[in-house]
Parts: sequence; structure tokens; C-alpha cells
Amino acid sequence: METIVKNVERTMELLAVSQTETVQRWDKQTLDRVFQWTQYCQHVYTRFHANPTVRDILEKQLQVTNESLRTTFHGYTDITFSDLSQCQHLLLVGLLNNAAVPSSVVKLLFDTITVGGKYKDATGHCTELIEVKSACKVLSAIHLKRSTSFPGPDNDVLGMTLMEMLDILLSPATGGSKVGLAEKLLDNILQTCGENENFSGVVAAALLSRKNDKTATTTKMASEGVSFHFILDWLQQHHSLLHNMCSTLPIGLLMDLHQQSVRFRVTYGDMLKQWGSQLEYDVGEGEWVQMYTTDGVSFKTLSDHYRSLLGACPSTKEDVERELTELKVADGDFDVRGLSVWGDLLSELNKV
Amino acid sequence: MSQAQTGSMAGLKPQEVAFWLGKAVEWGQTESPDTQRDTCLHLGPLRAFLQLLLTDIHMRSSTTETMRTIPFVGQFLGRLCWNPYVTADAESRSLLLQSLWSLYSEEPLNAVERKANQWIRNVLCQLATEEEDSATHMLVKHMGLPPKEYNVKVLRKMVWLLVEKVGESCSSLADPNQRCSCDSVLAASVACVPLVTCPETAPLIGALLQRPVTCDKAALSQDFLDAVSSAYSRKCVSLEAQAVVSLWCHNLASLEGAVMSLLDSVLSNPASIPHNLESTITHSLLPKACSQHGSIFLIVNDIFRSMLVQVEGNQTLLSLIHTFTICFLRELAALQPQECVSLKAFFPHTPQSLLAPLLTHPSEMAQEAWPEHLAWITASLQRLTEEEEEEEGNRGQCGVFEAWFLLVQCADWLEVASQLLVSARPQDCGPLLWLLTFYHHPTNRGHHRTQQLVAAREVWDHLRSLFLLSAPPLPADRLQSLAELMSAVPQQPSLDSLLVVSLLGNFAVFSHNPLSGAREIVRMVVQRSGLVREAVCVLDMVELRLNRERASSSLTDRVTLRTRALRGTLTHMAQHDTHTHGTT
Repeated sequence: METIVKNVERTMELLAVSQTETVQRWDKQTLDRVFQWTQYCQHVYTRFHANPTVRDILEKQLQVTNESLRTTFHGYTDITFSDLSQCQHLLLVGLLNNAAVPSSVVKLLFDTITVGGKYKDATGHCTELIEVKSACKVLSAIHLKRSTSFPGPDNDVLGMTLMEMLDILLSPATGGSKVGLAEKLLDNILQTCGENENFSGVVAAALLSRKNDKTATTTKMASEGVSFHFILDWLQQHHSLLHNMCSTLPIGLLMDLHQQSVRFRVTYGDMLKQWGSQLEYDVGEGEWVQMYTTDGVSFKTLSDHYRSLLGACPSTKEDVERELTELKVADGDFDVRGLSVWGDLLSELNKV
Repeated sequence: MSQAQTGSMAGLKPQEVAFWLGKAVEWGQTESPDTQRDTCLHLGPLRAFLQLLLTDIHMRSSTTETMRTIPFVGQFLGRLCWNPYVTADAESRSLLLQSLWSLYSEEPLNAVERKANQWIRNVLCQLATEEEDSATHMLVKHMGLPPKEYNVKVLRKMVWLLVEKVGESCSSLADPNQRCSCDSVLAASVACVPLVTCPETAPLIGALLQRPVTCDKAALSQDFLDAVSSAYSRKCVSLEAQAVVSLWCHNLASLEGAVMSLLDSVLSNPASIPHNLESTITHSLLPKACSQHGSIFLIVNDIFRSMLVQVEGNQTLLSLIHTFTICFLRELAALQPQECVSLKAFFPHTPQSLLAPLLTHPSEMAQEAWPEHLAWITASLQRLTEEEEEEEGNRGQCGVFEAWFLLVQCADWLEVASQLLVSARPQDCGPLLWLLTFYHHPTNRGHHRTQQLVAAREVWDHLRSLFLLSAPPLPADRLQSLAELMSAVPQQPSLDSLLVVSLLGNFAVFSHNPLSGAREIVRMVVQRSGLVREAVCVLDMVELRLNRERASSSLTDRVTLRTRALRGTLTHMAQHDTHTHGTT
């Protein structure tokens, strides 16, 4: 443990130095070494991010080191534990923004990519980055038919990573369920990125990632339901996100989730009912409209959702029809248009 | 220096410059599918222009001079740096970066150079570290993903999704009324032109190549095929075997390129054959492609035929063709039964009567049956040659050439004939000697075949008497005449020296006289004639054939030992020779 702490400390010092004039003396060996240290720190993050004890120790040490480095280096930015996963990126940003770095060192980073060994050195690191990013841009421009594949590869990757993290945090195999940490994680993300549309896409991708996971091993299956349900639980408490997700996701994918999880069926059903109850009848237009909320769902969208449910499978069809009928009855069971959104929905659905 | 001041740009024509400047601006302005397509289609010429530009920059003595003579360079390079199609392609990216570095001054002398340095560093920093979407970046950080790993994973996911889409068969097959999406495959192939060298996108390149061409619109862009072909020949792309075969099906030029490349590597390095020959050929993936597509086999053979006409009597080439055919037949046998096509389709020009007998491998029949089989083959060939000599005109010639070509392809039978000659009785050696002579001298130019047969018989007599002797000393006169027969006198029509060496080798290996005696004979004859390398080659071929027939041959152990021992003697001789006499 002590070694790890020392090594992390050392890397932080190197990171700080990389932004000063001392780098004038750096050469290929130095660069390679520093790169390897940043990789080490990233590895430390991966190993211990779900281990509260070790994480605590490291976070405390980081605070101490930050303080001392702050006094030594002018304009120093603190490094937190979560920054450790971005270590290499931070190094790169520091180096490339530092005019004092010798051009020979920068040239190494942009050299032609060599087919490296297991521990890749720094040569060609930036070239590879450029190659990968450019390739992504080129490929994203290829539009094949029905290519609007929600949630999109970027959200997909993030979603899968999120699920993997939750698996580790919630699986009993890794020393006890850390529901608290998991909640904290999701809350944190929501706080910093909640405004971002992408986050609901990421959550959706996380939920959907289990759909395709037919080759789950037994250990994984144990936690498969756990992470999935955890997210749903958490979503219940963050209603706007859930609403966002359900209204932006293509209905087909919602049906997939519907099929996959009983819990989701309940959540989704409740969501639809809530949407329905928000609609008011505008006598002038002769339509059901959203009067009070700006991001509500239209009558048409609502009926689309219900139509898909009816087409899902016979038992669902029965349940949905029964439910809607009950609601209609509760509203007075009139067959006149405009009195009960549920009645009108039923008649809309029965038209085809 | 005044040349620089007049602003002349050596190698860069003003129209060219204007054209490319315009293109760079155009590509940067919009991101419509048309501009994307345009960029991909111009990638090749752009590379050439960038190379010219780079050369030009290198000629200048300083960045200040460059900025004065080609002031557009900064803007131009800057625009291209932000074009993902240019930066995705390995060569363009490399040229771009090299150009930038050429503009960098280690010791900036003035404000212009200092500014240029700063600009270059900025561009590089932005290219490598700029995160387009800060919101995504935050999410990435929350997930604990290093940005580079995130980008790689996203790329892999994109490739995977596209591979799936490309793998879908044409939807109009099931429902003719439905408009299929195959034209988007063409668009995809165009867009992939810059990506052929990127290792992560290799699965997509492979998927595009292997997509079954079931619909008119599912064609692949020619630029794409050319790009893949060029990258493959430069070994800049790793494709799986089936993708390469598909590439050759789509693009004749790449197939021809592959064949020429194989021929080049083998013919320019004859010392490495025959042991590496088989692996070199298999590695080229050509036999596999030939077994799956008869048309490919026909094209390859056409190339071989024209090479044979160009380089007459080249033993390396003959061995190559022979080994190639062996690899091909092996691949063919490994195919699933339902994919098998009758052999006739692969050898359409060969006289049918010879096809089955020659394609049957010696190991597929008992050794006792060999003489009769060879007699039959020889008789057919003799008949064929006689018929053609009677006939006038070209039609006849083709039949003999094709028969000879098949013999070259199935040269195992030839080696069997040589082996049988060791133990043949005088009355049986006729057909075998005819076969050998025919192989080495297929055209009966000047009607010398009769003379050649006589010479062959003489050689055989000499060898027989030499090797049937049980005790030294060896008759010097016989050795001398043998050596003379081997040293070709250019003007006279003589027997191919390789024929003699081949017989010599076979006698040495397969006869029953003591090894020491055989060694001595070989050593003396080869030394006098100077054909050491050829003799070693013969022994190698014998050993390889024996390895191929391992299961059926009962002679193997004794013979292999002899072969190796003799080879050792000769190699030793060769080394000694090069030390004392120089290369023969």
C-alpha cells in the first residue's frame, strides 16, 4: 500500500513538473517513463475505485500532496482521485500547452505509429489519437439506412461502462454491496451532467446493454438483475430524467426493455398514465393538448406508445386494454369525445 | 536567391496551387455527403500534391523564405488538419505532420518564425487534446475512462455496428418492391477510402469486400478497391484471408499485382528455394483463392504461361509453377465437397486424355504401377507432338504447349521418371528418356530431338556404368565425357545441362553402390562442369518430393540420408570454391 501511495505521489510531482520549464531537459527516456507512470496511476484507479478503504487512504494522501505542490508550483491545479483515471490525458494537455517542451519530445508524440509491444511507449501516442478520432468522425458520417441507431455508439460505450461499474459496486463478490457509493456515483453524474441530454441516452444504453448480453456467465447473471434494478430504482427518484428517457427513446427500444423486465413494465406503465393525466382537452381545437408543462408528451405520441404496447404480446394487450377501460370507467364511462383522455385513447387505438 | 524572390515555386504550378487551395476551403465549409465523397475521391492526388509541397518546403533555407515564396502554406495546412478524411489516412497525415515540422524553426530568428512555431504547437495541441464536446468529456471522466480508451472503444463500436449493417443481405431479395439499401454500401466504401490503413477499421474493410454482390447497386467504389489494393501490396493493411480473396475477385489489377509480387520475390532470390518455396506460395494466399474461384486460377496460369515464354528454361520458374500447383490441389482437396468443381474447369485448354493421368499424384498409386503409367503418358505426348508436327499452323502448337505446361505443373512425374531411370533396364529406358528430353526441350526447334535423345542415352549409359561399378578407381574417360556433356556449348544444340545434373543426382541418391563411391562421382563431375548450385537444387527437390510421398514410399530413410550426405558434400564444395576460385 505504501508503495502505491508513494508512486502516485511521484506521478503527481511529474505532472506538475511537466508544466514548468524543467521539461527542457526531458528526452525520450524521460517521456516514456512519465507515460508509464501515468498508465500506472490509471491502473490504480481501475483497481481501487470501488474499494472505499483504499480509496479513502489515497484521497487523503492526494490532499496532502496537493497542498505541498500548491506551494511549490505556481498555478498548480489540484488532482483528485477521479482525476487519476485521466492521468495520461492530463499529462498530454500539460506537455502540449507548455512551450518549454523541446520540439524533439513533441515530435516523438507525433511520430509515425510503430506497432508497439505490450507496454506501449509514448512514440506515436498523439498520432494514434488523431487517427482514432478522425476515423470516428469519418464513420459517423456514413449513413446507412435505418442508421439512426439509438442510443449511438458513444452513449453505448458510456452506458456499458456504467453498468460494469455498477456491477462491481453492487456485486456481493467484491466485498459487500456498496449501494451508497453507487447512488453517490449516479447522483454526482446527474449533478454535473444532468442538463445534458446525453445522460438519459447513457442511462438508456446502460439498461439496454443487458438485452444483448445473452452470453452472460453465471457470476454476471447474479448481478445482471441487480444493476438493472438499481438503475430503475434510482430513476424513480429522478423523475424528470425518467421522463426524458421515455420520451426520447425510440418506442421499439422501450418495448425491448418492457419485454426484459417486469419492474420496467410497472415504471413505464406509471409513466404513461402520468403523461395521460397531464393532457387537457382544448375545446377550441378539438384536441387533447399539454396545457401546463412545456416538455409534456402529445396525445399522438401517447397513443403511439399505447399502440406499441398493444402489439407487444397478447397478455400485454389484454392488460393494457383492461387498464385503460378501468380508467375510462373511473372518469365516468362516457363515450363522448373530450371527456376522458382514456376513452379517447381507446377509441383512437380501436380505429385501426 | 533571386529565384526565391521572384516567387517561383519549383515544382508547384500556380493552377495546381489554386485548385488545391480552393478544395481545402470547399471541404472545410460544408459537411455534406457530396463534399465528403469529393474529399475521398481526391485523396490520392492530394497526397501527390502534399509530397510536392513538402519537397518544396525542404528546398527553402528557412521558414521566413518559405512564408515569402509560398504564403498560402500555413492556411492550407491548417485547413487540412481539421479535415478528418485527410487526417485519418496514414500517408496524408504523415505528409501533413512532416510539412508542419518542416515549417518549425529550432532557432527562430524573427517574429514570423516565432509566430509560426507558436501556431504549429497550438495546432498540434488542439488536434491531440481538444475535446469537442465538453459534456461528453465530463461523462467520460465520471465513468473513469481515459479519453483515449473511450475513443478507441467508440470507434470499435462504430465499426461493429457498420459491419453488421454491411453484412445484411440486400432487402430487395425478399421483397422486390422494397427499395434496397445497397447503394449506401457504395457510399460507405467511398467513405472508407481514408480508413484502409487504420488497424481498427480492418473488420469493416473486410466486411465490405466480402459482401456478396447480389444486387446491381451493391458495387464497391473503384477508388476503394484501388486504395485497398495499394495498401495491401505495401503491407499497410491486415486483412483476413477471405477478404483478400474477395479483393482479388473485385479487382483484377490487385490480383495481377499479387502474382507479379510472388514471381518477383521468388525469381529474384533463387537461393532461397526450394525449401521456402511452399511456404512463400501458401503465404501469398493465391492457391486458396484459386481453389475457390476457377477464374482466378485461369488468370494466374495465364500469367505463368507468359512468364514461361519470356524466361525460357528458368528452373526456378518451373519449380515455382510445380509447387504452386501442388499447393493449389491441396487447397482444392480441402474444400467442402459441394463446393468442388470438376477439374476440367480448371484446365480447359489441356488435352483431356492427359489431364487425369498427370493430375494423379505418384503417391496415389503403387510404385510398381509407375513405369506403365509413365509409358502411357509418354506415348500420349509423343502422339501429340507427332500430330502437331504434321499439321501446319498455330492450332497444333497450342496442344503441345498446354500438355507441356501440365507436365510442368505436375513435375512430380518427371522426378519419378528420373528415379526409375536409375534402375531401368536398357530396353525400358527409351520412353523415360524421351519424357525428360521433352520436359527440358519442349519445342522441337530444328528437329534436334532425335540428336538430343541420342545424347541422353549416352549420358544414361555413362551414369549407369559409373554407378554400377562397385570399386574405385573411377574411369577417368567416362567422367570426362560426362562432364563434357554437361558443359553446354552454346552454338550446338546440346542437351540441357540441368537434365544431366538431374539424372546425376537421381543416380547418386537411388543407386545401391556405397555412398562414398557415389559421393566421389558426384564431386568430380560437378567440379569439372561447375554446376554446383544446380546439383544442390536437384538434391533439394528430391528430398522435398520424398517428404511429400512419405507415407507411401518405402525407400525414404535410406534415401533421405544419402540425399543429405550428398548435399553436404556439395555445399562444402561450393564454399571451398568461393573461397579459392571465386564464384563459378
